[in-house]
Formats: sequence, structure tokens, C-alpha cells
Amino acid sequence: MAGRARGKPPAISARNVVKLFGRMRALDDLTVNIPAGVTYCLLGPNGSGKTTFIRAVVGLLKLDGGDLRVLGRPVSQVQQIYPAIGYMTQHKALYPDLTVQENLEFYAGLYGLTRQKREERISDLLQMVALSEHRSRLAGALSGGMYQRLSLACTLIHEPDLLLLDEPTVGIDPRLRQTFWEYFQRLAEEGKTVLITTHLMDEAERCQKVGYMRAGKMAAEGSPEEILRLAGLRPLLRLWLAEPEKDAALLRSEGYEIMAKGDVVEVRLERHAQIKEILAAVSPLDMRLEEPALEEAFLRLSEGA
Amino acid sequence: MSSSFGRAGVVALRVIRQLKRDRRTISLIVFAPIVLMILFGYALSGEMSGVALGLVDGGGQAGLKAHLESIPDYDILRLGSESDAEKLISEGRLDGAVVLEPEGARVLLDASSLQISGAIVAAVQAWVAGEQTSGLKDKGKGITMRYIFGYDLEMMDTVGPAILGLVVFFFTFINAAIAFIRERSQGTLEKFMVSPLSRVEMVAGYVLGFSFFTILQSATTLFVVRFGFGVPMKGSALTALFVVLLLGAGALVLGSFFSNFARSEFQVVQFIPLIITPQIVLCGIWWPLQSVPEFIRPFSYILPLTYAADALRAVMLKGAGFADILYPDLLALGAFFAIFFAAATVMLRRDVG
Repeated sequence: MAGRARGKPPAISARNVVKLFGRMRALDDLTVNIPAGVTYCLLGPNGSGKTTFIRAVVGLLKLDGGDLRVLGRPVSQVQQIYPAIGYMTQHKALYPDLTVQENLEFYAGLYGLTRQKREERISDLLQMVALSEHRSRLAGALSGGMYQRLSLACTLIHEPDLLLLDEPTVGIDPRLRQTFWEYFQRLAEEGKTVLITTHLMDEAERCQKVGYMRAGKMAAEGSPEEILRLAGLRPLLRLWLAEPEKDAALLRSEGYEIMAKGDVVEVRLERHAQIKEILAAVSPLDMRLEEPALEEAFLRLSEGA
Repeated sequence: MSSSFGRAGVVALRVIRQLKRDRRTISLIVFAPIVLMILFGYALSGEMSGVALGLVDGGGQAGLKAHLESIPDYDILRLGSESDAEKLISEGRLDGAVVLEPEGARVLLDASSLQISGAIVAAVQAWVAGEQTSGLKDKGKGITMRYIFGYDLEMMDTVGPAILGLVVFFFTFINAAIAFIRERSQGTLEKFMVSPLSRVEMVAGYVLGFSFFTILQSATTLFVVRFGFGVPMKGSALTALFVVLLLGAGALVLGSFFSNFARSEFQVVQFIPLIITPQIVLCGIWWPLQSVPEFIRPFSYILPLTYAADALRAVMLKGAGFADILYPDLLALGAFFAIFFAAATVMLRRDVG
């Protein structure tokens, strides 16, 4: 957690939250705590309740049970803090028959930005989403990725403290995605909270915290490293050794989990720090470290839980 | 800027910007009324063949009744009361009326068209003369004449003001319903729900923005009605404009309300037979309300176009002022707007579970 956010109440805290759609438990006793000033990624298969959770947070859904607080307030009073919330739905929420500039001006107007502030924000954001040259183009004439970027800019226009972004990076090229992530991280450093849903594992890995939802519940939560450990996935160190049998025996005697395959010996690591200890014991000709993918962790968690 | 009025203004400005860019809609707004007027006005006016005569049957005088009904050129309109007859004559929709009573008959005549009045008098007197020769001398005694200052009417004069109301209602209803459907499908409505913009501010913003175009539409239509077709404007054009704005605001909130029952723009079009057509038929433009069968008449009186057409006709043809049309016309239009404004704002939250 960044310094700016210290002492602040959690951005979102949910306790045993239940939301029913007919007989389906869209949110099933969900408990989650999202501290202020972090980038938090909500992952999970389709229909696991990610969007439902976000809609509950902004007060668009009436809960059937549990306790939900947003920026320190009960969700029943969330209307009073709407000016502090930036909400980007999977629908882009833009007017295709208005220009890029006009869309931004409209949202700036809704939040009561002064003229000067408005122009300043519009310039900054257009630069961030790389649309400065398209100011006067109709939004409807933009490509899918550009449309998405404009939608993000509109969501950020009023500098919200809590950003709720439902799949914000779909259709955006990797280079620009990198820019977005740097921007989100900067926002978090300023004490703002960024909650993102995504299907992309490499995006989840960039977040400070990841929550993995399954069937309306939080199946796993933690930093990306913690999630990997929870799924029982550990980094694999491959060693090419001059005397594989001898060294393998040595490592095994020191308690490592070893698999010998010809002259290659694979070691499952508990911690990265173990690499140093291993290199103190044996001198490999060559070595390679394989990090487990978060994706695999979630696959395991999905099957197991 | 962060005031309620400011936010409604931001929505209004956006609506204006969007519509301004939609050239097709703008030309429809401006030219459709003109085309419709030419169509209805000329196609229907032709000649008003025959004499439109009201008949208030208070019992008795069966012979006179039969005589009048037997005259081929007379269109007989049965009315409930003498005051209905008076009203229609003063509006220029009847050339005259005969009130039959057991004791005699009263002939109401339009003082503004003496030629036709003369013909009606002649017809009645022909009957009296016939009865007298056949020996029933007393029969003619109970017949009195009364002149009402009417209005020498052409078809365009009654149709023009009403078409203005009809066109504004039609386009505002359709455009508003489609605009609100788009707000839903684009996801902007959901985004508004999570912003400082309240539902009341949003609908109010739409009313403001659309009013801008209603004024444009009314101004061009009034201009053509007045100078192209020579319909008089005896009252104040501003009063007429106010009536149209109130009607347009009612159509907007009605469109917003009904957008909840349509899933696509296509389905909005399907509302036309249900919402628009009854108003055209029952608003009293084509035939007087007084002649609509009694069991249907209550429907006429809940439709806003009925009141708007009545008010516009009163302002333009008879020089009625604001106070003259306040009750019932403006009050009815105001009530219609208020009810559907409330309904539209409540329904905006519908899909929130």
C-alpha cells in the first residue's frame, strides 16, 4: 500500500455479500477486502460474478444479504460519493455521433469541472490514450481500440478516487496497454484505488493484488506470487550438470524435490532465495528458471475448489 | 456548473449537438410539416361540398327534421346540445344548426357566411310554407332565427394549427423514444446512474434540448401555415409556441416512458399505430369531437393532441389569449407532462435490480 493511502478506510470491503438472480446465487457469501491505494485485479471465468460484484459496489444492484462498504460508507449511501467513483462498463458508454472532444466535454460537464480544469484534463488524457490527433473525429468513426481508449479517458476525466474498470484493455495493443498499466500504477501511488476485471493473465500479474472469483465466491486472493503458492505451483530450476547422478543425490539429501532426466536435473523451488543455496552446493554447466503461469494456478484452483 | 440546472444544461447541450449533426432528422423536422400540410390541406379541402348543418333533436318537429334530412346537399351532424352547436358554428365547423323542440324550433346561423345562412333559412322557410298551404297554419309560429358570429372557414384553417401539433408530437415522441433506447444500449444510462446526474436532471436536460428543435420546427411550420396557406394568426404567436412547447415536452416524456417497452429502434416504430394513430383520429382535427360517439369520447379527452389542437385553433383563429386557453387546454397538457415526467424518471431505474 502506498504512503498516500495509509490510514484511509478500505476502498471496498464486502462481508458475506449475497446477490440472487432468481435461484442463482450470483454473489454467494462473498467476502473481500480491497485496500485503498492498490491496483486490484478481479479474475475469473465468465459468469463467476465479477461484473455483478462491480455493479453491486456502485449501488446498481440491491443486495440480498451481507455488508458492503465503499470508501468507508455503507453501499446504501453510495450515491453521495458518486463524484469520487469512475465506472467503466463493458459497454463503452460513448456517443458515436459526438466527436472525441465533445464526449469528453460532456462527461466533464456532468462532474462540474471548470472550463480551465476541463481543458487541462482533456489534453492530459488524450495524450495518455494517444488520441490527441483525433480530437475532432466522430467517436463512431474510431477503431475499436480507439473507442475503448476514449471510453477510458471519459471515465478518468473527473479524477476519481475509486476506479472500477470492467475489462478496460480489451482490444488495445500491447504497447499502449503498457502505458495504461503505468498510469494505473501511478494512480495507485497517489492513493487511488484501481479495480479491474480482465481475462488476461499477464494483466493480472501486473496488479498488486489479485482476486480469483468462482461461482460468486472468492476462490483465492493475494498477490500474484501468493496465488501461485496457493495453487501449489512453484518455480522450476533446470540444471545441466557434469555429474548429474552425484549432484542429484546431494541435492536430494539436502531436502530438495528432484527429478533427474539424463544430464538435466529439475528442482522445484519453495522460494527464489533457494537458487543461491543450490548454486553454493553444485556448479551447473548451464541453468534455466521456469516460472509457473498464473493461468495454470487458476486452472488448478478451478478444478480443485 | 455543478448545480442541478448546470447538469441538466450539459445534457441539453449534448442533445442539441447530437441532433444538429443529424441532417436527415433536421430536414424531416423542418420539411415534413410542410409536406403533410400540403397533403392534408389540399387533398382534403377540395370543395367542402354541401352544407354542414347541426341538428339538436329535443323532440318534436318530426316533419321539419325529415325535410332537412331529405335535402341532398346537407350534411347533417347530430349534436347533443345547443351549446355544442353554438361552439361549432363559432369555430366555423358548422354552417348552421337547427334546434328542434316540442314547442317549435330555433335556427342558429353563421353571420359570417350570409350566403349559406340564406340557403338554410330558405330551406326552413320552404318547409314552413308547405305546411301552411296544407292548412296547418300554426306550425310556423315557433320558429326563431339566431345569428352567431362564426368564421368563414377553409379546410386549411382548421387543419393547419392541428397539423403543427401533430407533427411536433409525432417527431418528438419517436426521436425521444429512440434516444432513450440508445442511452440504454450504449451503456450511457448505466454510467449516468453512477454519476452526480440525477434522473430528473437527465429527463429535464432532454426536455430542454428537444425544446430547441421544437421551437425551430414550430417557427417554420407557423410561418408556412401563416404565409404559405394564409391561415390567420389572430392571437399571439408566442402563445401558440408555448402550447406547442408544452405538447412537445409531453411527447418527449411519453417517448422516454415508452422506450422502456421497446428493445430496439425498430420496435419504437411499432408504437406508431398504438400511440400516434388514435390521437390523429380522435383529436378533433378531421371531425368535431361533438360528433364522436359518446363511448369513445373519453379517450379523446385523455389524449394531449386534443387539447393542443383546440388551444392552437383558439389562438390562431379566434385570437384567444393565454388566460382563455388555460382551462382546460393548458392545464390538461401540463398535467399530461407532469404525469409522464414522473413516470419516465421512475422507469429509468427499472433495470436496476
